[in-house]
Amino acid sequence: MNCWPPKVHLPKKSTKKGALDIMFADGLFLTFAVLAVIGAVGLVLFRHPMNGAMSFVITLISLAGLYALLSAKLIFALQLIVYAGAIMSLIIFIIMFLNIQPDDLPKEETKLLYILGSIIVVLPIGLFLVKIVKSLPITSVEFMDNNFGGVKEVGLLLFKDWLVPFEIVSILLLVSLIGAVILAGKRGTSK
Amino acid sequence: MEQSVNYLGLIPLFPLLGAVLIGLVHVFTCKKIKVPEMVYGILACVGPVLSFIMALKVFVALKALPAESRFLGHKVFTWFSVGDLHIDMGFLADPLSCLMLLFVTLIGSLIHIYSIGYMGGDKNYGKFFSYMNLFLGSMLILVLGDSPVVMFVGWEGVGLCSYLLISFYSEDKQNVLAGNKAFIVNRIGDLGFVLGMSFLFWGIGSQGFDYISLKANVHHLSPAIALTVGLLLFVGATGKSAQIPLYVWLPDAMAGPTPVSALIHAATMVTAGVYMVARFSFLYAHVELAGSIIAWTGILTALLAAIFGMFQDDIKKVLAYSTVSQLGYMFAGVGVAAYSAGIFHVFTHAFFKALLFLGAGSVIYALHHEQNIWKMGGLKSKMPKTYITMVIGALALAGCPPFSGFFSKDEILYSALASGHFGIWMVGVLVAGMTAYYTFRMIFVVFHGEPRDQKAFDHAHESPGVMTVPLIILAVGALFAGFLNLPAIFGGDQIVSHWLAPSLTEHHPHTSIFVEILAIGASVVAFVIGIKIAYTKFGQGASEPAFSGFTKFAYNKFYVDEVYNAIIVQPYKAIGSSIWKVLEPNVTDGPVKAASKLYMAIGTAFKVFQVGYVRVYAIYMIVGLSIMSLFLSQSLN
Amino acid sequence: MIHNYLLLSIILFCLGIVGVISRRNVFTVFMSIELMLNAANLAFVAFSRFHENMDGHVLAMMVMAVAAAEAALALAVVILLHKHKSKLDTNVFSLLKG
Repeated sequence: MNCWPPKVHLPKKSTKKGALDIMFADGLFLTFAVLAVIGAVGLVLFRHPMNGAMSFVITLISLAGLYALLSAKLIFALQLIVYAGAIMSLIIFIIMFLNIQPDDLPKEETKLLYILGSIIVVLPIGLFLVKIVKSLPITSVEFMDNNFGGVKEVGLLLFKDWLVPFEIVSILLLVSLIGAVILAGKRGTSK
Repeated sequence: MEQSVNYLGLIPLFPLLGAVLIGLVHVFTCKKIKVPEMVYGILACVGPVLSFIMALKVFVALKALPAESRFLGHKVFTWFSVGDLHIDMGFLADPLSCLMLLFVTLIGSLIHIYSIGYMGGDKNYGKFFSYMNLFLGSMLILVLGDSPVVMFVGWEGVGLCSYLLISFYSEDKQNVLAGNKAFIVNRIGDLGFVLGMSFLFWGIGSQGFDYISLKANVHHLSPAIALTVGLLLFVGATGKSAQIPLYVWLPDAMAGPTPVSALIHAATMVTAGVYMVARFSFLYAHVELAGSIIAWTGILTALLAAIFGMFQDDIKKVLAYSTVSQLGYMFAGVGVAAYSAGIFHVFTHAFFKALLFLGAGSVIYALHHEQNIWKMGGLKSKMPKTYITMVIGALALAGCPPFSGFFSKDEILYSALASGHFGIWMVGVLVAGMTAYYTFRMIFVVFHGEPRDQKAFDHAHESPGVMTVPLIILAVGALFAGFLNLPAIFGGDQIVSHWLAPSLTEHHPHTSIFVEILAIGASVVAFVIGIKIAYTKFGQGASEPAFSGFTKFAYNKFYVDEVYNAIIVQPYKAIGSSIWKVLEPNVTDGPVKAASKLYMAIGTAFKVFQVGYVRVYAIYMIVGLSIMSLFLSQSLN
Repeated sequence: MIHNYLLLSIILFCLGIVGVISRRNVFTVFMSIELMLNAANLAFVAFSRFHENMDGHVLAMMVMAVAAAEAALALAVVILLHKHKSKLDTNVFSLLKG
């Protein structure tokens, strides 16, 4: 594993096309970032969870775009398939399954006040993190070779160096599967 | 130095296992099913009898060794080891403990067999035998322990069992109080024993705390500490063996069933003190002052108990005081450094006292739990076996020449005389006469004359075989046990004294034959006078005498119990109740209650934060993180 | 360039915290937690990119697996809550109140 600070790679070909690519990439980053933040704000603000979930899907898809910009091809695919696809559709399915009426929702008259208060509380944490990030050394962008973040490379890493955590995660998934079946499968306890 | 044999530990183990087994059977069945008494009886007798067989095996093994190396040991495991103190759970069989072992297991077994008959029909039959086995097991640990600490385990065990058995008929509050009294008085003595043990360890314990090491190192002990240790251990012995001033529990201990009394008085418990002093003979031989104190305490106890015994009207109390009196003799013996004489008296006393108690039990059984001798009389014809065996026991107790008690008692008196303790000898002779008097007073009143209570007399009958056979065996023992230690003047060779010699540190004084004849003659004369007075007063039947003056004083045991009650118990109670009623609510309760109120207030104040919403707990966490971040970002510059 | 990604990650993470502590709707709270997990994922992938090391990708996958497990359990719990109380309000449950 590499140590901090990383090697700084200058673009090999400082062509006009490369500079244009960088500009294009910056534009994409800005677009995705703004979309992600808008989606997140929407999630926090919408009253009905369905609207919140839809807005959260926007965030997730934007994040998938950002992963693509970071040349994480496998994670990009997984973000779309597992997160935006599987997990969010599960959540939305449950929301629809429960057939939530507006009366079921909590009445949050002081929601905005709460949000304002929490922003004040959270602000020092954010500023502290920003301060840390600012203190990191600046590295420039480079174009990675095609193999970075591919299925084969990440897979090799996963099954060589990370085999034990991988197996443990598989057990975790099994346990949660059983737990979900037991929890949601209870019958006749209500009423 | 000592040979290791692995079966020593089994001897106490058999009765202890029996106790556990019987106890479990009793606990699990007493509510629902009734287990046949025979099952309990067999289970109870197996342990003691097996122990007796093992004791015989130990005896044979010891006999095969040369006299000077008759030590068998067995270290089962290391019990604990702290600093210099290393205590093994170890057992030691030498001639002294072997002798004790033999008669404790023999008489214990006989008493168990007798109890099968005596306790018949009792609803706590199983519980009784469980306690009896535990009692015997504790006594065997006491006898076999190879260090004072292991001995103390047995010492406490017999104390506990005496409490359990004395208050066995626990429906009656008097019995429970008697048990309490025995236990508390024993505790006082035990404190002395523990202190003595601690001093002994402080003195020479670091070189090993078993008897063999102690014996080897005893000369390192300074005289003052040796005296302290000797006296403190003797305090323990006064509690266990009922000497002045702690003898008061033993007569009350008659509240228990009669076999228990026999076990306490003959085989276990009360002989523990004498055994302990003999066990520490290497220590007491060095401190003559302690020996004299023990001897005088013993002989005065003998005198006092004999005076009390002359005026009792409960058959068991007469025997109880005779035990206290005989224990006094034993202490007089070990006090004048005649340890083998003392132990020999323990040995013979075990036979005739067990015999007398079991005989008394037989009489009580026949008369449906009547214990007052003034309600008996003329039972000679109704219970011939009991009568004959009891007369043998009484003759032995009184010191009639060919019987066992004569030889052992005479040995003690002779030793006192030979070692120059004239006072002790004279008191001893006086007590011998009194012993003869009160013993035969009891025999004459109970068995001779006319029946005083015709109805009870008509119902009286001889006891069953399971009770009379142990009586006959014990009678044989009471008759012939004395010949084991026949003094030279009668052509004997003192087998027991020679047998005990390797275990004890004693010197046999050499005196002229005149002294020996004087001692024997005085004893015989005292016996004859005592029995003559008893015969003239009670031989032809007499009615219950009225007491006045000194006799009334003696009948009420010099009011010793009342005095103890007034000067010790009542002040204690007063202190206790004053602490309870005055000190506690006004002084100590204040800070305690204030502290609890303080915490209550703090808790109530902080309760506000426990709103119950998970979200709010998350907010607390985030607020904490936020404050931390504020501080950390300060330091990041 | 990495700074931008990390700043975005911080913003999303703080929005997640705000969602968790200010909203009472169970689903919103749950999705806010997912948002925080995603913010962390973004930081992982960004660091991975600038270190030229794919360990971050593996960690991101792990986080996704944990998120999936969490989703399965959390939704089961939500269904139970709805069955019992017919409410989606976290304030309905206050058994811990002192």
